[in-house]
Amino acid sequence: MSAPETALAARASFGRRTLHAHRGLLWLAAREVLRVLKLWIQTIAAPVLSSFLFIVVFGLSLGGRIKQIGGVDYDVFIVPGLVTMAMVQAAYANNSSSVFQARFDRYIHDILAAPMRSWEVNLGLSLGGVVRALLIGLALLALALPTTGAPIHHPAELVLAVALALVLFASLGVVVGIYAETWDHHTFVQNIVILPLTFLGGVFYSVDVLPSPWRELSHANPIFYLINAVRYGFLGTSDVSVALSLGVTAALAVLVVAWSSWLFATGRRLKP
Amino acid sequence: MDLLGRGLRPEGSQIGTTGRSGAGAGRRAGVVPGAPTPWSSGGATVAAGRSRVVSLGAMALDTGTPPALELRGLTKRYDSGLLALEDLDLTVPAGEFFGLLGPNGAGKTTLISAVCNLIRTTAGEIRVFGEDHRTPAARREIGLAEQDVNLDRFLDVEETLVYHGGYYGMGRVEARRRAQEMMDVFELRGKAKVRAPQLSGGMRRRLLLARALMHEPRLVILDEPTAGVDYELRLELWRYIRRLHSTGTTIVLTTHYLEEAEELCEDIALIRGGRLIARDSAANLRVAYGAASLADVYVKAMAS
Repeated sequence: MSAPETALAARASFGRRTLHAHRGLLWLAAREVLRVLKLWIQTIAAPVLSSFLFIVVFGLSLGGRIKQIGGVDYDVFIVPGLVTMAMVQAAYANNSSSVFQARFDRYIHDILAAPMRSWEVNLGLSLGGVVRALLIGLALLALALPTTGAPIHHPAELVLAVALALVLFASLGVVVGIYAETWDHHTFVQNIVILPLTFLGGVFYSVDVLPSPWRELSHANPIFYLINAVRYGFLGTSDVSVALSLGVTAALAVLVVAWSSWLFATGRRLKP
Repeated sequence: MDLLGRGLRPEGSQIGTTGRSGAGAGRRAGVVPGAPTPWSSGGATVAAGRSRVVSLGAMALDTGTPPALELRGLTKRYDSGLLALEDLDLTVPAGEFFGLLGPNGAGKTTLISAVCNLIRTTAGEIRVFGEDHRTPAARREIGLAEQDVNLDRFLDVEETLVYHGGYYGMGRVEARRRAQEMMDVFELRGKAKVRAPQLSGGMRRRLLLARALMHEPRLVILDEPTAGVDYELRLELWRYIRRLHSTGTTIVLTTHYLEEAEELCEDIALIRGGRLIARDSAANLRVAYGAASLADVYVKAMAS
């Protein structure tokens, strides 16, 4: 066997060993994705439809009556924020409900007793929300881009912003799913925290048009930075620098991932 | 065909046992009924009130196999302040059918949960076949059927088994093959595509047991597996469990049914207030407590 063939065989062998060592993680992630697909009307179709209706109703019907924002047509301006909103809500809601349901019905015991490391359980439970959000995002892009003609000016920044957003909200969903004692707790965070912050983060407007002190207060909203990072990726415009937007989002993602990792590593809340 | 254990063996063949596992001492080859078993000393029965029971685990020494389960100084105090287990020592030799009896709140489920990594222990050590219970190697050896039916509501019968196998490191082909075997053994094949919430109570119990055995564990823990089931299903479950034990699998059984413990278990421990108060064969417990039946032993032990 030649040297390149030997190296190739060694790499293939390493890949097989790695896959084998983390089979539990792969199966857990597959289970989370299976749940998303089995409930596709609720998990995929409904959020895609409602977000697309926002784009059609707010963008196409009102867009003609609202002047451009930052040199961009209104129907195009709202696309990044609405796509972001749909994706982060899906990532959060999926994981918080899946983890809470697993705790409520106690089938999470089957996972906690299995020979998986704590980070594998954490990652496996998180991936369902990530996949669901990506499916929704892709479906919305497929519908919204031809409808509105929204461009993608900076794909690398867009991918990075979406990745950070999904890590942040998928992990937040897992954390809330672990802490929640009732369904109300899960919906409280979604409806009373995430949804208002998303709307106030500039989905439908540029915070530059707000009077003081609302403009300054908007800068305290973490989702404002996320929406602007995604908007920069699509439109090339942003209310703040893209580096700051990505930095704030990354810092929050690190914080929430550290929180969920601590919960799984210590067993706090998961194990009495 | 016996598909329950490691390898395929004809039903009725045993590894290290003389026949069906059952009550009292002396079920293993060469052991006289009523005499001390090779893995517990003649004085292993511990008087009520003592906090520790020292089981010698001599069988493990005989064979060189580490005990299936070893607890040393196990203590669990919940955040509420409740002391559920207190400085508990216990050894279950490999291959034994071990019963754990006690009233509600005695600590049975806490003990099982500690072994299976479902609660955080306050102090002490747990070893499964010589390995720390938190390691993947130890966890792979344990199969758990909990008292409550905790099946994944989004999965059908076949998926429940296949995904469980996957969590324990099985590949897709292997997991599917094993799931077919388990569905045959537990007569669930006709319900392969039915989700757990649509199953009858008896089928859910059987599925719980099948799931616990899916990854071929060497230590199977059954937490009140026959609670709330009708007599016919109880006998059926007993048959499954006996066949499982006959393949050499170590079984830890908790139950409120004393006749069940007497019928199935080689060694029985009584637990009260988080402490083991006695441990021996049913026959030796009867002698030690001067009781005519295990029920009398239980009443005397719990009252003392």
